[in-house]
Amino acid sequence: MSKTYYLPQSNEVELFKAAAGMNLPILIKGPTGCGKTRFIEAMGEELGRDVYTVVCHDDLSAADLIGRHLIDENGTYWQDGPLTKAVRNGGICYLDEIIEARKDTTVILHSLADYRRVLPIDRTGEVITAHPDFMLVVSYNPGYQNVLKGMKPSTKQRFIALSFDYPKADIEKAIILKESGVDEKIAQKLVDIAGEIRQLSDNDIQEAVSTRLLIYAAKLITKGFDPYQACIHSIVESLSDEEDVLEVLEKLISLHFTKSVHL
Amino acid sequence: MDEQVGKFWDKYLTKKASRLYKKEEVLFTDKSKSLKLFYHLLGGEKGKELHITDKRSIKTSRTFLEKFSGTGKTFFLPWQEEKGIYLPATLSYFPLKQHNEMHFFWLIAMLTKVNIKSKNMRAENEKVAQFLIKKYAGFSEFYTYAHSFLISNYPELSTIDPSIEDSLVDNYPNPLWIYPSLSSNNKLLDVDDEEETLRQPDEPKKTETLVIKKKSEQIDDKKETDGLLLFLPESIMSFMEQVRVDRQENDSYDEDALYNAEDLDEITLGQKDANLSSRIKMDLDISANSVEQYPLGRGHFIDEWDYNKEVYLKKYVCIKPFISLNIEPIMLPKRLQKMMKKIQSELDLMELDRIKRDNLPYGDDINMDTWIDYKGHQNRSNHPQRFFQTYERKMRDMATLILADVSLSTEAGITQEIRVIDTIQDSLMVFAESLHRLEDRFAIYTFSSIKNTKVNFHIIKNFKEKYSDLVRGRIHAIKPGYYTRMGAAIRESAKILEKQQSGNKLLLILSDGKPNDVDRYDGRYGIEDTKKAIEEAKQKGITPFCITIDLDAKEYLPYLFGRNSYAVIRDAQKLPKLLPEIYMNLTK
Repeated sequence: MSKTYYLPQSNEVELFKAAAGMNLPILIKGPTGCGKTRFIEAMGEELGRDVYTVVCHDDLSAADLIGRHLIDENGTYWQDGPLTKAVRNGGICYLDEIIEARKDTTVILHSLADYRRVLPIDRTGEVITAHPDFMLVVSYNPGYQNVLKGMKPSTKQRFIALSFDYPKADIEKAIILKESGVDEKIAQKLVDIAGEIRQLSDNDIQEAVSTRLLIYAAKLITKGFDPYQACIHSIVESLSDEEDVLEVLEKLISLHFTKSVHL
Repeated sequence: MDEQVGKFWDKYLTKKASRLYKKEEVLFTDKSKSLKLFYHLLGGEKGKELHITDKRSIKTSRTFLEKFSGTGKTFFLPWQEEKGIYLPATLSYFPLKQHNEMHFFWLIAMLTKVNIKSKNMRAENEKVAQFLIKKYAGFSEFYTYAHSFLISNYPELSTIDPSIEDSLVDNYPNPLWIYPSLSSNNKLLDVDDEEETLRQPDEPKKTETLVIKKKSEQIDDKKETDGLLLFLPESIMSFMEQVRVDRQENDSYDEDALYNAEDLDEITLGQKDANLSSRIKMDLDISANSVEQYPLGRGHFIDEWDYNKEVYLKKYVCIKPFISLNIEPIMLPKRLQKMMKKIQSELDLMELDRIKRDNLPYGDDINMDTWIDYKGHQNRSNHPQRFFQTYERKMRDMATLILADVSLSTEAGITQEIRVIDTIQDSLMVFAESLHRLEDRFAIYTFSSIKNTKVNFHIIKNFKEKYSDLVRGRIHAIKPGYYTRMGAAIRESAKILEKQQSGNKLLLILSDGKPNDVDRYDGRYGIEDTKKAIEEAKQKGITPFCITIDLDAKEYLPYLFGRNSYAVIRDAQKLPKLLPEIYMNLTK
């Protein structure tokens, strides 16, 4: 398997390695599509540890993380959940969008995320001490304002925090080039477009264009799509449903990549 | 010969008149939203507003003919200053609509990049134009076309006398360029008198009336402390009116008033609602045409934080609860019904949320997990036999108190027809409707203040009261007045919210500016007291969230509410639609 491509934005790689060496859990904040998941995957490969990814949602129960009893012909048996697996065998347990999970679910992480590093399983009465290679990583997007969701301070304060943002222009360009194989001029244009869209604030647009979307656009262009069309479908339409916002974004794209029949 | 000259002259004039393509003109007002967004997109300062400019006189290098015919003297030219940017009301230089539209976007792009302080505006404009052409393929096409078109069709705009020195080229009227502000360039440009008068704010007038009002209130307060008058004179009016009605009903009003005064707290808290609404209904039976502000008792005192001394001033602020009487119940206005339809689709999405509850002793389905758990358990007798699960509609378990600032500043206009208070009223109506449909529990209060002795706390709807046409009537009857003693209003609201049983309590504050009052409650003092009040609310398990239309709010709101607990709405007219959206985002 080829190595996962990841271009560091600043000191995150060193920090992650240091935290891994000291058995400290990590919290990653950042907007969607800025490379959080890719970073964890790359670090897992780098450190030679398995990554157990769980995408959290509001119906995620503790059993989904820890494990549950199942039945076979011999009766019931215990099946480890992804968290328990990582705790037992070592590896990175990555809880994506932790903020979406119910608060009572995240509380089970407490004993794992501090000096104790143990996971008690009340259904089997077992208390597992974490494997030396076990590492807990959680991530969330702080951009959404929400009364009902948010990490309890007691959970938050158990982690080393890394804040991600969209990569700087030159890094982002390099990423687009590498991921899509598009020519450099177009990559530069895409980065310019992104830079402009990211100047809008939350009131104009819910969230700015992600690196992921830029790569989509670049990929469509490499496949032979008209750059204007590619941008409309991958960037403009996915950012907003409001007509006036769409109109202006379309305008912006048309300024960078002229429509074939124009003027 | 004369005839020939006349013909020539006529031809010249008609040519001039038909030069602009009025049929293809693009109006600024049609595009203002897009243009503003585009301005932000290209990195324009978010605080700046877009306006329509007046004609500007320009001393051009007019030809003798032009001087004679009077053309080429005034132009609608785009310019900008510290506070805002100014664009022509319409553009119609080009024979195609798309080009005229593009012209607007071009100007916006220029505006984001041009440095208005530059000494040589000609070089600056050319530099920025070159930059834009190079960066945007779309602009490059437009500019090449527009430039040559303008030169060939509007010679008076583009003839430039090479003898004019660079320092004077501000007088060169190129519709594709940006000009410095009128004020900074007086020596070159004649400022239109009209505009001067337009820009004169009508604020002095407002303060005048305020002072007058304040004076009369001060007198009232003194009287009040005598203990002779229980109510303000204005409320005595309602008192008289009430007495007449009450006699018909064979009911003693005095007793009611006393009773009200005693139970004041509870009324604000929404406990005695039945009593209250029944009386309001009765009042409505008589055909009263004026809305009365009915005080619910004498008022009560709460603390205020003095940051200088770092102590609470005990029982320092007097909260006076009011309710509007003689209110006409109204339906949701037509224009808002339209908006409601749009919002409804978003509301529907929220209601789809259902939640699974398991570990129940009885329910709709068997939960396999718990059953297997039970089977796998070593000591079954100890295991709870809760094998069922059921799907319930998610109880949102929200209690939201909306606290709207109705100080006199909300009387300021957003546009010529719409005042801030109008959008606040619209927002409250749409929002109340949304909350009602979501079946979330909510209450609405408004506040305004005159010093610590009188913080008016108007009840629009408390938690117990059902949402009805009457509530809308009360929203409709909101009148702006006085100042913004925000801390006191927040404390009072927190007190009400604290008594609610819901798991999640949201205090939504709708404001248009900084906390302020006529006494020392201004600047730092007001901010610190408000901050303290918010901290107290947070300690009570209440989540405060502030929505403001004050563009300067970014300076003090993060300090008051924390980074993620406020929203600044730039376009106040969008408030009615945004408010429910923000709420849904907050509680999704």
